[in-house]
Amino acid sequence: MLEVIKSGLETSIQDYPGRMGFLNLGFPWSGAMDSWSLRLANILVGNEAGAAGLECQYIGPTLKAQRDTVIAVTGADMQAKIDGVDIPMWESVALSAGQTLEMAYAKTGTRGYIAITGGINSPEFLGSRSTFHKAGVGGMGGHAIQKDQVVPVAAGHGTPGRKVKASARPQLAADKHWTVEVVRGPNDDWIDEPGHERFLSTEWKLSAKSDRSGFRLEGPDWTFTDKAHNKLPEHGSDPANIIDQGYPVGAINLAGQTPIILVSDGPSMGGFINPYTVPQCAFWKLGQAKPSELLSFEVISVEDAQQKARDITELCSEQSVA
Amino acid sequence: MAHEVELQTAGNMWKVMVKPGDQVKSGDTLFIMEVMKMEVPHEAPADGTVSAVNVSDGEEGLDAGMVAVVID
Repeated sequence: MLEVIKSGLETSIQDYPGRMGFLNLGFPWSGAMDSWSLRLANILVGNEAGAAGLECQYIGPTLKAQRDTVIAVTGADMQAKIDGVDIPMWESVALSAGQTLEMAYAKTGTRGYIAITGGINSPEFLGSRSTFHKAGVGGMGGHAIQKDQVVPVAAGHGTPGRKVKASARPQLAADKHWTVEVVRGPNDDWIDEPGHERFLSTEWKLSAKSDRSGFRLEGPDWTFTDKAHNKLPEHGSDPANIIDQGYPVGAINLAGQTPIILVSDGPSMGGFINPYTVPQCAFWKLGQAKPSELLSFEVISVEDAQQKARDITELCSEQSVA
Repeated sequence: MAHEVELQTAGNMWKVMVKPGDQVKSGDTLFIMEVMKMEVPHEAPADGTVSAVNVSDGEEGLDAGMVAVVID
């Protein structure tokens, strides 16, 4: 019931937590890159936190409502307007039949989220509506939304004027620099101590050749332990080669000398080592970082990473509505 | 009337197809940005003469909103 007038840049239907439990079949989780923002948008419009909404990347869409509804816009500031009039972010807003929601380029952050009362009810695939365009599944026809499509939305009850407390929102980096949490491993014993020190002291530049599959980092070369040099031939000849293994979601995958963070639509296995892993609690930062912004990495424990994820989930609830 | 063509996305400048003094028609591609491994072409909003080009091939880390080309 939202007609697509302009699609924006790879605007896709995403939910939370995504398509869990099928990595063994090669299906990544997908889902919103900044699920903190999507979940808060859903709470504002009266949906379950994990309902399907729209993830807008870099350039937002223009959408026309076919019936009265309530929406909320969160995440990156894409200068949202209804019929040419600015609307507030982090607040539920009435969108009447015939009105047009217009999003432009992201002024701060990278990914904006639109939740609609009732939630998008496109068909589920393996338990999720999230779009995974490389396999052509989820979303509408398996791909980003297209001009002239109509995005289906379930019935629901929303109330305009509900706001997220400022303290409950993700704080986007204003200085083009992000500190991103990592946990060590699974293949940290393939990197020597100078290699670890170099990784943790470097400000890595995020490449523009980054998308929902992988975030490519530019920085210094890596150095390795004997384990990477003196290994059985089935591992492969490059120090970063290892016999094919499963990849954790968020793995910092070392493709030769290029680290690539395997994010929401990333591969589930392959033959490169993963010295570090970005935990889910830090994915929102990746989702909002722009090309050429700088990423520093800070090691935390698995327990701390799990606690941070629980803290975010706690914020994505009615208690954060003012 | 001058038309200022702003970058519609953050990202890298892949290719600039115009230089000052060029005549362009509405809809002509002025330059192509790259982000998420995708090309993002920017087109001329009107017929006219290119009076300024503020970007060049291969520039990285550009911010959306910057005036890249001016057409008089």
